[in-house]
Amino acid sequence: MSVRISVEPRARPAVALRLGVPVASLLAAAAVGGVVILISGNSAIEAYRTILDSSINGVRPITRTLVLATPLILTGLAAAVAFRMKVWNIGAEGQLYMGAIVASGLALWLPAGLPKVLMLAAMVVGGAVMGALWAGVAAVPKAYFNTNEVITTLMLNFVALYFMNYLIFGTVSFWRDPGRNYPQGKLIPDAAELPVISHRLHYGLVIALAAALVLWWSLRGTTWGFELRTIGDSPSASRYAGMSVSGKIVSVLALSGALAGMAGAIEVSGVLKTLDPRALATEMGFTGIVVAAVARLNALGVVPVAVLLGAVAASGAKLQTIGLDAEIVFLLQGLIFLFVASGEFFLSNRLVLSSRSAPEPQLAATEASHE
Amino acid sequence: MNDTVLVLSIVSAVVAGTPILFAALGEILAERSGVMNLGVEGMMLIGGVTGFWAGVQTGNLGIALVAGGLAGVVFSAIHALLAISLRVNQIVSGLALVIVGNGLSSFWGSTGDDPLIQSFNGVQVDPILPEALRDLPAVGPILFGHDIVVYLSWLIVAAAGYFLYRTNAGLSLRAVGEDPAAADAAGLSVTGIRYLFTLIGGFGAGVGGAYLALAVLGTWQAGMTAGAGWIAVALVILAGWRPWLALLASYVFGALRTLGFTLQIAGVDVPSDFLSMIPFVVTFLVVVIVSANPERARRVGAPASLGEPYSREAR
Repeated sequence: MSVRISVEPRARPAVALRLGVPVASLLAAAAVGGVVILISGNSAIEAYRTILDSSINGVRPITRTLVLATPLILTGLAAAVAFRMKVWNIGAEGQLYMGAIVASGLALWLPAGLPKVLMLAAMVVGGAVMGALWAGVAAVPKAYFNTNEVITTLMLNFVALYFMNYLIFGTVSFWRDPGRNYPQGKLIPDAAELPVISHRLHYGLVIALAAALVLWWSLRGTTWGFELRTIGDSPSASRYAGMSVSGKIVSVLALSGALAGMAGAIEVSGVLKTLDPRALATEMGFTGIVVAAVARLNALGVVPVAVLLGAVAASGAKLQTIGLDAEIVFLLQGLIFLFVASGEFFLSNRLVLSSRSAPEPQLAATEASHE
Repeated sequence: MNDTVLVLSIVSAVVAGTPILFAALGEILAERSGVMNLGVEGMMLIGGVTGFWAGVQTGNLGIALVAGGLAGVVFSAIHALLAISLRVNQIVSGLALVIVGNGLSSFWGSTGDDPLIQSFNGVQVDPILPEALRDLPAVGPILFGHDIVVYLSWLIVAAAGYFLYRTNAGLSLRAVGEDPAAADAAGLSVTGIRYLFTLIGGFGAGVGGAYLALAVLGTWQAGMTAGAGWIAVALVILAGWRPWLALLASYVFGALRTLGFTLQIAGVDVPSDFLSMIPFVVTFLVVVIVSANPERARRVGAPASLGEPYSREAR
């Protein structure tokens, strides 16, 4: 008697499963990451203890984790809102750079004596608008010619990266400090710095949390959110129902870009105090995609996941002191993404074990013969 | 005349275009079966680090390229499992490959007692044809001055074109990509064919990455592909899923990537950041132009089931 495994679609996963599958995915990623660390000749237990130690053990580590989580909340929201409509904005990276360029430019250009509130508002809004415009460059062809946005948003990442590098390393631009031998950006004035909550933790976190809350509510409780989800499920049916799909594509991509651009503005104002291309090009945009996927595109879920990945990132420097390369952080993030992506299958399907002698439902029989 | 700007830039375009060509050929075959693998950048990186490591260990170009290719196969198997069997969204699964490939290759390349990042290239990549041919004016360096891998790539392009349009197996592959339900009804194994060609696609990307590290750059660096894998993905669209056009387009992008070198010897001064931008700007513009013309977009024609998982009961 042989046992068959068949796949059956699951209508709506139970709450326990919706929480359990992501957690199991995280554990699986940690296990595989541990094996890689072991193969490289290091102790996995020591590595994970270091990660915990340098991310949550004490006020200073916690603030460091939250500082790193802040941009990830925003880029995670950027990915979540676009992916919810099945518009694949892979360009948060470039939109973040462009937001940072405009925010630092405004901080240097506006009078340094401006009231702090005005200065900060100008930077955050300016960064968001620039991020939206940069996303718009890919959104318009997507909306009107159905151009593949995965390719276009990704290409724009590289364009933004080289443009940002040019402003600091390629020429003595308005952003660059002419008084230094080594190419470096000018420092922004005091009025342009986000105030501090504790240690290095700045009020950017509050802005990010507010954005998560607003977006969560808009997606659930407004017509806008309903249309967005409907278009994601079936663009043709939505068009038939009279929704403007093209307009929605442009507005959602612009919103996604605005969130990423805001992340860039907040990094400049709260952390870097200057346009620092090296510190900005640390895959915050790409990590946002991982954050959104692990959070299953839920705007509130983005927050804890961003904190988790922020904790992993916070340990990068400390891991080097125990002989592990900081690149392990990216590997762990990638593994988390991979396992969470495969976990989706178990949320939307279930495996049914049945013996050959038992009568089988029609569905299982066709699937098994297909294999 | 063999050291004029034009001749030198064509030669460097061919060298720089070859890794993109291998990756794009692999992706064309995978996408012809209906599986879109956006993880090319990650597979090239993992193929690059493996191939470079094998080159340092053995000093043998053939072994190094095959090792890189096999590493690509292993990575594409993850995508195949997720996209074909588990029916995970192919865009998400492909992106996961890029992030894992980037992290794993950087980690592997910089860890251990003798990190690869400090290793010297262990492989000699020399021209194979006699010097008399190579010294011919213009055509010598452009046609006869290359290493064996470039000639191999030309053979593979011809073979892939013949396979796709002139053999029964190629017809089966295209049938699975165009209409998996009909192919299934005709007795073809949709799952089997999709697995096979996804793995072949991984082999192409892996070989491309290994060749990039060993022959084009001559060293291993974390993130050394710098977008080459993404350009290969875009190039598949631009080439309309045709091997011959992929050859041509790869060399055009090879030329764009080496434009800085070309302009430098021509004595033109353009900031290097803008030169680095050009391939990405051109790709963006061409992808938009191709899609903006509905007539052309229809004629180019992606495989009809591209990106769609297939399951019998879902029909």
